[in-house]
Amino acid sequence: MGFVKYIIRRGIYMIPLIIGISIVSFLVMYAAGDPIQIATAGNPGITEAQRDFLRHYYGLDTPIPAQYVRWLTHFLQGDFGQSLYGGRPVNEIISFYLFETLKLQLISIFLAFFISIPAGIYSALKQRSAADYTISGISIAGVSLPVFWFGIVLIIVLSYHMGLLPSAGAYGSPKLWPVFGISDPTLDALAHLVMPVTVLTLASLAYNVRLLRAGMLEVLRQDYVMAARASGISERKVLYKYSLKNAITPLITLLGLSIGASLAGAPLTETVFSWPGLGRAYVNAVSKLDFPLIMGTTMIVAIMILVANIITDLSYAWIDPRIHID
Amino acid sequence: MNLLEISNLKTHFFTEAGVVKAVDDVSFNVEKGCTLGLVGESGSGKSVTAQSVLRIVPKPGRIVDGKILFDGEDLVQKKDGEMQRYRGKRISLIFQDPTSSLNPLFTIGNQLSDIVIQHDKVKKDAAIETVIKTLKLTRLPDPEEAIRRYPHQFSGGMKQRICIARALLLNPQLLFADEPTTSLDVTIQAQIISLLKDLQKDIGMTLVMITHDMGVVAEMCKCVVVLYAGHVMEIGPIETIFEAPHPYTAALLKAVPRLDQTRKLISIPGNIPNLITPPTGCRFHPRCEYAVALCKEKKPPLEDVGGDHFISCHRWRELRRGA
Repeated sequence: MGFVKYIIRRGIYMIPLIIGISIVSFLVMYAAGDPIQIATAGNPGITEAQRDFLRHYYGLDTPIPAQYVRWLTHFLQGDFGQSLYGGRPVNEIISFYLFETLKLQLISIFLAFFISIPAGIYSALKQRSAADYTISGISIAGVSLPVFWFGIVLIIVLSYHMGLLPSAGAYGSPKLWPVFGISDPTLDALAHLVMPVTVLTLASLAYNVRLLRAGMLEVLRQDYVMAARASGISERKVLYKYSLKNAITPLITLLGLSIGASLAGAPLTETVFSWPGLGRAYVNAVSKLDFPLIMGTTMIVAIMILVANIITDLSYAWIDPRIHID
Repeated sequence: MNLLEISNLKTHFFTEAGVVKAVDDVSFNVEKGCTLGLVGESGSGKSVTAQSVLRIVPKPGRIVDGKILFDGEDLVQKKDGEMQRYRGKRISLIFQDPTSSLNPLFTIGNQLSDIVIQHDKVKKDAAIETVIKTLKLTRLPDPEEAIRRYPHQFSGGMKQRICIARALLLNPQLLFADEPTTSLDVTIQAQIISLLKDLQKDIGMTLVMITHDMGVVAEMCKCVVVLYAGHVMEIGPIETIFEAPHPYTAALLKAVPRLDQTRKLISIPGNIPNLITPPTGCRFHPRCEYAVALCKEKKPPLEDVGGDHFISCHRWRELRRGA
């Protein structure tokens, strides 16, 4: 089948890209400074000899190309090495944060996607009506409110004053702090998701709604939509079957890009809500120059974006029979 | 007996630039089983008239006044849900451009069977059978295979056959064909015209041919309605129209290219008027070679000139005598 061949070929193309990305990030990282210097900066008792010992221990004293080759050999075996802080395996750290980030991001991305479908269609159908302006207004407000402000306002109102929702983290202790008087771990996890998901969904809703509205306005003018109406097809079917599929491609592109980029997390949102996510961990790793963790996260994010791109391209061909993949 | 009686129909478009009076006080009847030609230049209101009958006038247009009696019932007064049951089932429309009027993302079988399922509440298999049967009627080669294919896999002529089949799926009583051959090659045009002619004869349905091609009118139609800038200029049986026409119809007839005469192509001087501020009096007067002062001041009534022939022209008596 064409699909399988296509996926294999795109997969092969990914290899030079990934190696290129890894070389560039490796070089940029080394240009940024000496991680041992940063790690020991707050410790006046440490001697230069001890620093040299640490550099040797982590293999930072060999030439950069040699370090890169060593890193690449391990990477190809699926091993990202150990964190410079605490020595935990990078694989373990990433998989811990990855799950929490994906949970938060995927829920928000798909929520924004599915809310935008009826909202975008309705906006286009009732162009320049009060409803259209209201939908545009809410979504533009969502994208304009800074996360650090809106998130904190939510925390102050819903957590501090009203005591409804937990303010931080992904999990609490349901026994100690029951949500709505019920101590249930699932409800607890859901309650922790409400505020960060609201913030992230509102932030991406505007793009989704505007894209679909523009696409629908274009499609609703087409002869085939009038032809479907002229054939007595019900309005619901005209919109959700015979117009939506033609208008949804830009939204799929955005969805693919967002899922790919979601792994890098939303550091601001994660910080505001103390979410144990990869975005926050990534920013921390960069500020501490934790080389193995930076490389590990960068590679995971790069691979995810490339894979999401392939899936997006495949979905175009699946939506539009005129597009041939080969 | 009349299947369709349109009286004083006004369909206007409320644009930001002003109100476009695309159809302005149009009245005519369509006899059951007859083929009627609806003739005029682009922008004369032909297509909007058809869209008004189906009540699918696109925004910002709407029917502001008038009656559309179909089989004795006024379609203008119907609720949307009731109207939906007429569309495609009792009244159908063939579009000008088959390429743009078929949805590119769905197979022919999917698009066409949905119409049958919508109206007749049948199972998918039964609907597909109806689709294949109707595609055969339009002489599309290999309909069993065609239903699995997408629009872009067919040529223009084949797509128009598919569009004709789509309009005929449920044996409508009234069929509008909106310039069905304009976007096709000349050789294919002739095939589609003869197909429509045969289908009309075989099924005995009522056909309204919307066209600006007087050749097509002469070949197919029993009677003709001539529209200009949203007004009816002339209504009559084909023979009388070709003999003693309205100055506008005469100009249209002169514009038909002829193979047996070597002469320059003749066009009607000027342009179709702006319908936001249409000309006063007779809307054709700025382009009419016979116009007098009265034509500018007063809209000519649609007068019965005998033999089912109606003319909207102040000077029809003089012109007929002269002719």
